[in-house]
Amino acid sequence: MPAPLPLLSLGPFALVCAAAVTVLLGIAWQRMHTVSALVTIVGLLGALVLQLALQTPDSAETPLLVFDGLSHFAALMVLGSSLVVALLSHTYLRGYTGPREEFYLLLLCAAAGALILVASQHLASLFFGLELLSMPLYGMLAYRFQSSHSLEAGLKYLILSAAGSAFLLFGMALLYAQTGALDFTGLASEMGPWALAGTGLMLVGLGFKLSIVPFHLWTPDVYQGGPVPATMLLASISKLAVFVVLLRLVLEVPTFRDEALSALLAGLAILTMIVGNLLALRQSDLKRLLGYSSIAHFGYLLVALVIGSRFAVETAGVYLITYLVATLTAFGVVTLLSSPCRTEEASNLEHYRGLFWRRPWLAAALTVAMLSLAGIPFTAGFIGKFYILALAVDAQRWWLVAAVIAGSAIGLYYYLRVMVALFLREAADASRAGRGGHWLNDTIVLVLALLVIVLGVWPAPAVDWLAGLNY
Amino acid sequence: MMEMTVSLLPLTFLLPLAGTLLLAFSAGRLGERGAVWIGTGSVGLAALVTALVGADFALGNAGPQTLTLYTWIAVGEFAPSIGLRLDALSLTMLSVITGVGFLIHWFAGWYMRGEEGITRFYAYMNLFVFSMILLVLGDNLLLLFLGWEGVGLCSYLLIGYYYQNAANGAAAMKAFIVTRIGDVFLAVGLFLLFTQFGTLDIAELVTRATQAWSAGEPLAQLAALLILGGALGKSAQLPLHTWLADAMAGPTPVSALIHAATMVTAGVYLIARMHGIFELAPAVLYLVGMIGAVTLLMAGFAALAQTDIKRVLAYSTMSQIGYMFLALGVGAYSAGVFHLVTHAFFKALLFLAAGAVIVCCRHEQDIRRLGGLRRRLPLAYLSFVVGGAALAALPLVTAGFYSKDEILWQALAAEQQGLLIAGLLGSLLTGLYTLRLIVGIFHGEPKSKAAENAQPGRGPQHSVPLLVLAVLSTLLGAWLRPDLSAVFPAAPGADAHAGHTAVQLIASATAIIGILLGAWLFLTQGPKLARLAAEGAGAFFWRWWHRAFGFDGLYDRVLVRPFLGLVQSLRRDWLDAFCGLAGQLALVLHAGLSRSQNGQLRHYAIATVVGATLMVVILARA
Amino acid sequence: MSGIPMEHGLMVASALFAIGLAGLMVRRNLMFVLMSLEIMLNAAGLAFIVASTAWAEPHGQVMYLMVITLAAAEASVGLALVLQIYRHFRSLDVDAVSQLRG
Repeated sequence: MPAPLPLLSLGPFALVCAAAVTVLLGIAWQRMHTVSALVTIVGLLGALVLQLALQTPDSAETPLLVFDGLSHFAALMVLGSSLVVALLSHTYLRGYTGPREEFYLLLLCAAAGALILVASQHLASLFFGLELLSMPLYGMLAYRFQSSHSLEAGLKYLILSAAGSAFLLFGMALLYAQTGALDFTGLASEMGPWALAGTGLMLVGLGFKLSIVPFHLWTPDVYQGGPVPATMLLASISKLAVFVVLLRLVLEVPTFRDEALSALLAGLAILTMIVGNLLALRQSDLKRLLGYSSIAHFGYLLVALVIGSRFAVETAGVYLITYLVATLTAFGVVTLLSSPCRTEEASNLEHYRGLFWRRPWLAAALTVAMLSLAGIPFTAGFIGKFYILALAVDAQRWWLVAAVIAGSAIGLYYYLRVMVALFLREAADASRAGRGGHWLNDTIVLVLALLVIVLGVWPAPAVDWLAGLNY
Repeated sequence: MMEMTVSLLPLTFLLPLAGTLLLAFSAGRLGERGAVWIGTGSVGLAALVTALVGADFALGNAGPQTLTLYTWIAVGEFAPSIGLRLDALSLTMLSVITGVGFLIHWFAGWYMRGEEGITRFYAYMNLFVFSMILLVLGDNLLLLFLGWEGVGLCSYLLIGYYYQNAANGAAAMKAFIVTRIGDVFLAVGLFLLFTQFGTLDIAELVTRATQAWSAGEPLAQLAALLILGGALGKSAQLPLHTWLADAMAGPTPVSALIHAATMVTAGVYLIARMHGIFELAPAVLYLVGMIGAVTLLMAGFAALAQTDIKRVLAYSTMSQIGYMFLALGVGAYSAGVFHLVTHAFFKALLFLAAGAVIVCCRHEQDIRRLGGLRRRLPLAYLSFVVGGAALAALPLVTAGFYSKDEILWQALAAEQQGLLIAGLLGSLLTGLYTLRLIVGIFHGEPKSKAAENAQPGRGPQHSVPLLVLAVLSTLLGAWLRPDLSAVFPAAPGADAHAGHTAVQLIASATAIIGILLGAWLFLTQGPKLARLAAEGAGAFFWRWWHRAFGFDGLYDRVLVRPFLGLVQSLRRDWLDAFCGLAGQLALVLHAGLSRSQNGQLRHYAIATVVGATLMVVILARA
Repeated sequence: MSGIPMEHGLMVASALFAIGLAGLMVRRNLMFVLMSLEIMLNAAGLAFIVASTAWAEPHGQVMYLMVITLAAAEASVGLALVLQIYRHFRSLDVDAVSQLRG
């Protein structure tokens, strides 16, 4: 069957790459921060619009890539998140003295990698996409190389991520040795000891990127040390894209649905939820706290992976949207408060004491984000968590249900702590948290916060859209 | 066209909500003028929308209907939806809330001038209007309960508005806790109804209940009793009435809006809305009437012996709501709601006028230290006279007369002579305490510097709301009688006519006697009365009534102190320790796990490798 | 093809991978850590080659090309980072780079 219009489906990817090349050439010609940012934003926006226009009625395929409902959804999320990061990066980098334009180049490359990753149906494209996504992140995390924290974050991520990649590759090689194929459908053909070992090793590699529990140790350090936009990208598109590809593997490759593996995944999910939330309990650094919180959230998401039904895909979609919007809002507020101060980022909770009395709207946005991450009704997070619970109850996985509930209960404590700090009367040191910025930036964060509320109060359109995607 | 105006209905509560949010997030940057404009404007616009919808409704362009706004989430059978019920009852309530609410908000701009935290004041007030509208518009009990709790919260916040004074905080807490006792009953009632019928949609619920239960069914009695519990708490009826007098600690516009015109009548609305359930429980319905009668007498006597203007008005509110309960109890729902409307007009007027007096006399609100203000504050005097006349049901010219007369007549028609006599006696008391209040404030000689130097309020913010409400308290207000025949079953007196004229005559006579007696007593016999109240049996009754029959002391001794003692003794028991254990465990685990985050790259690598090895081993063994 | 069974080749690759892992865990000098990573990646590459040969199929060799490309890229970024780290910490000791913790 001739694949219908694969070229057009590749359009968004091509646009992002074109924007990257343009930024690259622009840097070679003359450094202009705002122009680079504009090219990036226009490129991402164009790709987003094109992706929206591509409502694939039936999926297009190439040997390496598949464009179906799942990849359509994920691509939209990737492009939207990257757009938000790009917009906020401009403010953030204005206060930066070193070269600024390359940041956009790296951002675009990472977005391109994520686009490939979410559409891959072949180990080669999986590997290529993952590395194209991770490699720019090393650079972005260590971007403020004058700061030892940023360097440390970059180094830790580089070494451990490379180790993770090695695990992934070795696992792929073993799978390949067993089946002689590299595409997902070909992998389905055979089971055997090598295949199982390979699957396990691949899971280690992917689990590392998702910070599943025994492989989660890097997360808080990297979140804390990296520049906020880089962390934001790491928390959003990197995790989303890896999760989507893992979901595709579980759905399409029988070895990933092996009973023992599934039980193991369920165990890891429980461990991840509990440990992630416990670690965050008395955290005093907001970025670290968000890191721990993202560990816990991917624990919840693993539930969808373990169950792996049609409804699980929808659930994962709902949860990913709600997680992304809330996370971007939270990091957006951190970015806006960090950007104008050149020396230190507004990372410690002390910076946020009494924020409501100085920047009420930003404090409100952060409150909304925290409420959503905690899963309070009438925010997006509640809808996501409700779907996860409904899924687990429906599948009668009571241990998972119990863990989700226990994790959420622990989570409430530290999310509430952040909120309380925002409304305390005595402002710590008003000069430290940045004052004023462009109104546009505040607007972006507020729109995101509004989206969190809208998704929580009126989730029907988003849910219906997800349910209508053909997968 | 009609579709359009009805679809505007959500705006009535969205506008006040928007006002709340704007005010809350302005963080005081709006200034006084801005806060007043936003706070008043949002409610004014809501009133405008209500007027539009109401006009369409009255013209018959839009019939009673339910607007399903949306379904929240639909997962399996769990699909809670939010709908608004538009009918004569909800529209009547809506008009009162937005209309009277708007006037009070407007007046508050004058009353609160120069106060600290006026943004906070308007944010709470708008939030209150939002919750109250949700309460009356919700088509299901869940939404109603949400609004119910919302108004309770706002009431708490506004009673404690002057939080620097600890007594106000205590009053707020008292109001919150006492009404909360009622709320618990209501919540249990809702659970009961939900387990029985599997729905909280009011119309659906009542239909299913009438099919499943016959009149007098024990479960129906229980459900009605539980709902009644909620209504008693919110409407300050016996035995949950003790909070209302203390609630006067809030700013006077708050007392006018929340503790006179709207929130305290929510109980009446609830019973009227759920009348289908109460019809199935005749005994409970009878109890409603009895409680109303006892409360109206009790509060009438208590009002006679108060010295604080606002406390007199508070007890009179309690008493008037007693009339409404009485009406509900005899099945005359329409009469009860009619009295609710007229009461909202004249009591809001009285409270605002009291507010005017209080501000003009530099926050002096003790009757014994006022007096002689007739000439200095003519507008307040006029308002008090008009409002007082309506309260005392002066025949023919006041709104209060028509609604109260209707209630008494229905009591007779329902052959509840006991209730009728209580109502008549109450009307005598009303005349007495109204006159005592007016004479004490406006006649005689000024009894303090503050009263001597009173300066009248100026400006439209002060006078227009008073004048509008004064007009509404007269005969003209009675013309606004809502036609509720489509919502309620026919009242007992619908077909009978015998004795109607007699009741009217007797009621008129009682009211006039009360007023004349009061005028004679308080205008000419002041010193004698004071002597009477100071010694012997007179002193005993004075003190007894002043303390409103000593319910506070009783509750304090029987309930509050034993409960506190119990709590004190249970403070450190094993159950508490057990509950704390989970938290302790979490902290210990947190401390342990945090040690793994030691920042050492090599340790992280080792952990990864160990994890990977374990995983492969587990997979290999399986 | 060659007489060596695929399993043996994979065993060698696994041993190589384990050596790399061990280096990652015990080596404190950053240069050696990077080298250990190279060894792990090469082990994966070797496994691809072995499997590709056993199946007489070219895809594995393409993968190997990608692996060495990755190794090169990783090395270059890693070395750049190492340079900056040395400027900051005046040392290549991995254990010294542990300001972020808790």
